[in-house]
Amino acid sequence: MKHRSWVTTLAMVTVMAIVAASCADDTGGGGGGDGDGGVDCAAEEFGCVEVAAGEPINLGAAQVISGADANLGQDQVNAIELAIDYRDGTFDQTPGQVLGHDVQLTVEDELCSAEGGQTAGTALAADASIVGVIGTSCSSASLGVADTILGDKGILLFSGSTTSPALTDPALHNPFFARTAHNDRIQGAIVAEFSLGDDLGATTAATIADESPYTQGLVAAFEANFEAGGGTITGSEQVNSEDTDFKAPLRTLAEANPEVLYFPIFVAACSLIIKQAADIMPETTLVVSDGCIATDTLKNTGGAQGVYASAPDVSAFASNEFYSGEFVPAYQEAYATAPLSVFHAHSFDATTILLDAVEAVAIENDDGSLSIPRQALRDEVFSTEGYEGMIGTITCLETGDCATDVTIGIFLGPGWDVEGGTGDTSPVYTDTKSLDDVL
Amino acid sequence: MADSEASPAAVRQMTRFERLPWRRIILLVLGVVIVTVVVLGVFRTLTSAQRFSGDYWIDQTVNGLAQGAILAMIALGYSLVYGILRMINFAHGEVFMAGAFGSFFFADAYVQSGFLNRSPVLALLIVAAVAISVSVGTAVLLERLAYRPLRNAPRLVPLITAIGASLFLQNAFRGFFGPQPYPFPKPQILAGNITLLGIPVQRIQVLVLIIAVICMVILQWFVSATTAGRSMRAVAQDKEIASLMGIHVDRVIVMTFAIGGVLAGIAGVLFSLTFEQVQFTMGFRPGIAAFTAAVLGGIGSIGGAALGGFVIGLLQAVGPSLLLTGFGIPSVNSLRDAFVFLVLVLILVFRPGGLLGSGEAEKM
Amino acid sequence: MDARRWIRAGALGGVVTIFLALVGLIGNFTGLRLVGEQITFARLMLVSAPLVAGLIVAAPRIEGGTRRAATLSEAIRGGAVAGAAAGAVFALGILFTDWIGDERVRRIFLNVSPQLMEFVTFEQAAGVGAAIILALSAAAGLLGGVLRVAPATIRRPVTAALSVTLLFGFLQRVIPIAFDQIGLERDWLYSASLGGLTWIGALVIAAASAGVSIVNSRYGSRLRGRFAGRPDTGPGVRPTTLVLGAAVLGLLIAAPQLLGSVISEVLGSVMVFALLGIGLNIVVGYAGLLDLGYVFFFALGAYAVALLTGATLNAFGIAPEPAISLGLNFYVAIPFVMLLAAVAGVLVGAPVLRLRGDYLALVTLGLGEMVTVLVGSPWLVPLVGGPSGMRGITDAGIGGLGFRQPQQFYYLALAFVVLAMFVSWRLAASRIGRAWTAMREDEQTADAMGINIVRFKLLAFAMGGAVGSLGGALFAVKIGSLTPASFQVLVSIQVLGLVILGGMGSLPGVIVGALVLVGLPGLLREFEEYRLLAYGAAVVAVMVLRPEGLVPNVRRSRELHEEEAEQDAWVKAEEPAAEGTPA
Repeated sequence: MKHRSWVTTLAMVTVMAIVAASCADDTGGGGGGDGDGGVDCAAEEFGCVEVAAGEPINLGAAQVISGADANLGQDQVNAIELAIDYRDGTFDQTPGQVLGHDVQLTVEDELCSAEGGQTAGTALAADASIVGVIGTSCSSASLGVADTILGDKGILLFSGSTTSPALTDPALHNPFFARTAHNDRIQGAIVAEFSLGDDLGATTAATIADESPYTQGLVAAFEANFEAGGGTITGSEQVNSEDTDFKAPLRTLAEANPEVLYFPIFVAACSLIIKQAADIMPETTLVVSDGCIATDTLKNTGGAQGVYASAPDVSAFASNEFYSGEFVPAYQEAYATAPLSVFHAHSFDATTILLDAVEAVAIENDDGSLSIPRQALRDEVFSTEGYEGMIGTITCLETGDCATDVTIGIFLGPGWDVEGGTGDTSPVYTDTKSLDDVL
Repeated sequence: MADSEASPAAVRQMTRFERLPWRRIILLVLGVVIVTVVVLGVFRTLTSAQRFSGDYWIDQTVNGLAQGAILAMIALGYSLVYGILRMINFAHGEVFMAGAFGSFFFADAYVQSGFLNRSPVLALLIVAAVAISVSVGTAVLLERLAYRPLRNAPRLVPLITAIGASLFLQNAFRGFFGPQPYPFPKPQILAGNITLLGIPVQRIQVLVLIIAVICMVILQWFVSATTAGRSMRAVAQDKEIASLMGIHVDRVIVMTFAIGGVLAGIAGVLFSLTFEQVQFTMGFRPGIAAFTAAVLGGIGSIGGAALGGFVIGLLQAVGPSLLLTGFGIPSVNSLRDAFVFLVLVLILVFRPGGLLGSGEAEKM
Repeated sequence: MDARRWIRAGALGGVVTIFLALVGLIGNFTGLRLVGEQITFARLMLVSAPLVAGLIVAAPRIEGGTRRAATLSEAIRGGAVAGAAAGAVFALGILFTDWIGDERVRRIFLNVSPQLMEFVTFEQAAGVGAAIILALSAAAGLLGGVLRVAPATIRRPVTAALSVTLLFGFLQRVIPIAFDQIGLERDWLYSASLGGLTWIGALVIAAASAGVSIVNSRYGSRLRGRFAGRPDTGPGVRPTTLVLGAAVLGLLIAAPQLLGSVISEVLGSVMVFALLGIGLNIVVGYAGLLDLGYVFFFALGAYAVALLTGATLNAFGIAPEPAISLGLNFYVAIPFVMLLAAVAGVLVGAPVLRLRGDYLALVTLGLGEMVTVLVGSPWLVPLVGGPSGMRGITDAGIGGLGFRQPQQFYYLALAFVVLAMFVSWRLAASRIGRAWTAMREDEQTADAMGINIVRFKLLAFAMGGAVGSLGGALFAVKIGSLTPASFQVLVSIQVLGLVILGGMGSLPGVIVGALVLVGLPGLLREFEEYRLLAYGAAVVAVMVLRPEGLVPNVRRSRELHEEEAEQDAWVKAEEPAAEGTPA
């Protein structure tokens, strides 16, 4: 009796809620702008970004700026700011302009995790004035999360450091995701090539992966290319990046006596494995990748003696006049430190390409406002071809990979190209490949 | 389901279906299944084409024992506190971490000045003393601030407080020292292997085992032969009567926490020397493993904690490869933690008091 | 004697301030302005501990068997002394750091930055800064003392004014959005350039909350009396509760419209955790079983829904179809998922529920760990995608109307939460709920009375598990993809934390707990690094000071304070005899 009245109330409330939901409209969506140029914003699927006269163009960034990986993200944020600075042709610490409008940067922290990617993505997607997002720093924040959230709104996510092959895999790729960072299929393939080649001449290898998409991608690429080149993978172990005791998996892998052990994992676990493998598999050559290249690793392992590490070969673009002559000095002047990681150049190029594309597709209305059609912006970025960026020649593929020819270098510890590296920090091996060359 | 201990009133209420000795039946079936699976797995592992060498099993066993020794020392802390207060000090893993971290700064300074390698014994003793002080300080502080006010609260309350304290301590250290790992220096004399009975063993592992055994022997002597130890046992048996007999219960409790802290501090230094790294998260997994070990061996008993530690160490090192490889499961070592917990659950199902316990769980 | 107590309290306060400085809560927030330009978070942290020391020192004490309030002079002296002691301890810390050099201290304690040192010395020489700290802390302590002994008519409004104003200051990035959405002018309230409240805005807020507090004290009981009707005897709901409940529900429904999609996303998370809290509340709050592995059901629900509604594996290089994949509609799948969770709960619970509380805690912890390991393991990659997880989870759409957008999802989650609360509420009032209460309070007696303990424990476990799996299913819909990283043991601890904070056994408490422990951190992103620290401290504080939580369940409250109630009763019974006998 009383319960019945409760039930009715509840039912009414639920119905009301659903009705409210269907009327709910967040502050999103571009309105129509009657622009010339043959684009009718109102008819566009993703609409246009409207920038009123005198208002800045809003560029978004989703990077990891707190926690253990803060260097990776902060480095790229700095590079983005420098790219905005350079719009006026010089690094003078005054931001440049695009089509007479200032460029404003909104940074969201993506915490290097899926949840962080969701929060950052939602925050940026909610802002209708965001023209595009440079990010994310970590593959885990993009994969199925930020790329989808932003892609659903037609906002381009252009990354300078996510290298996981899954992001540009034809089955998984979001059409609004692109990256200037290399695809780790290339890095994995070059490491495999190095292991099989004259320097190491290995025929057997074992791998250790952790739970991150970054590691999984590299290990998969390495294994595929190693076996295709005639080698044998004698064992694969998976560990947790927070473990400290790796003796059991190492001992298991040691049974088959592999000549090479490839473990492209992050600093904390990587240092421990280097130390523990020295005791358990002293004859095996250890190879890591850029996730492990850090001052802390060198400190923790006493210089990572004899450990090979693969990374984008910065010397390839360090020889670039612009990079070493103008960019790096400007970076040091603005931020009182040398660049912190290796992906700043990629983000610089991504920002420049994006802003160039805005200039190309924006419709300048009579009242001084701009209408920037989202689909056209995306198409313009994806049609980049032969662009000479700081990292090299950039041609974007339909699957989102824009770094066409990727140069990966192999460095021998302690000569890693990072603060704390000693001796000869030039690569002992280097190769340039494109996606067509690898599996 | 019928429970043979259910009261007559409850039994009257049950249906015939429920009166069957379900528990016995299920346990029996479960036991048979488990034994079959274990035997099958081990057999297949040992006879498979890519079977492991004898050296492999020896190496893993040695690793397991060394790791188990450290776990045993931490587990003793859990057991002692449980015996006195009937509560699991979830924050004990952080006591261990605090000691290790505290001693790190001294160790780092010593390795920089060369003192560590010039007089390693003295340096290590000082480092250990610092670790012990920090651990004991943390443990005593915990007792005073978080547990003493809750002496008479329902059981759930101190347990939850301990979890909160554990989170708090971990993140306090993260706040103080940052999230990154720090390299803990190992003196030269502890580097490398020596050969015992034809088996290569790491020097640090030998040290760990020796020190662990010494500590356990001393603890056993302390608890059984000294007055203080006797008062601990008295308080563990019955707090109220003990206080009536003139024992200062609060002081005994603090002493118990302190002893647990001493052991944890020593374990902290040994752990840091073994893995050459300290980080604010380092107490969490060993804490859970040691807690598991204490329960496995029979919580409240010193011998149980020690035994439990070694058993868990061995299970972690040898278990997955021995049992699961036979079933063709890839990367069995990644299932290590799950495996250990499964064993724990099964032990508790069949023998709730733990290995050295009475065989029957105490009711609340 | 008194002085010693005051100094001890103050010294402890000083240590707390040192702790806050070392952990970074002062140095990193010198720029977070709460009110105007002067009141920053860092300054607040600097004076909080002395203030609280003053509050504690001036509290009423039990002396000679009676409860005596402190006099004004005692409060002033005590507060000042305690504050000074706190300041002295902190000042010693400053002087010491200055003496050996802050770079050397920074090699150990990372947060002793030049910025921090400048701040705490007020950009003066160390000695001068220390003196300023001493004076400031003494003043804060004095203020605390005076506030404590002030009559309630002054104290309550002042406390209300201070807390609400500070809350508005903290929510400086949230409330302006609400104002914008409604179209209200907000520049008078929040300074666009500084970020925090303007002084005018702060004064208005303070006055308003003080006013509300005064009105509540004067007329509140009268108004409540008007609506009270008969006391809480039979089934049915008191009119006040009904009105309050409807108001809260209305607010919850209107929230996304007012607050925009970023905040709606946070509220969506709050709702998911509230659902988990409702489930755990059945296990911990009603049945009194300590379950530390609740993430087991959470993960089960999420992955089961993914597999039943046709999600695909995220890993590349392998076939995207999971080993089990059905294409059911979300709403058809949900009952199966909940049933699966209930069955799993029974299977898992049956062998272990006989164990005592501590063992049960450990075993459930282990089960949670096992699930975490298994979903990320290479072994189960063909089923759940391993570390890369799964993607393409249904958006729970009904006839083309999807629920993945933050506002839409919030309403979906809210609907489920309301449903779960209703069921839970009826359960608590039913025969089952009474059996649980009996079991919780005294298991042996309950057993003797004929309650089948094992059956009811299993029921609690199964029902709690089913609700938890519902939470997991919603979580999967919210994010659209799943990775094992979202299913760590920390989730179990967080859900436990919010049930505890809100009040074990209290349904409104679960919502409050979720809002505080999930909503606040979601909104105050600048404190992200200190979230877990605050969690831990909050759990310990709640358990030691107020174990019944923020919105207590009356019955539980009585259980938790049983000892005190017994002592009180004993004292009261003794009183007539104590008159003529020496103490």
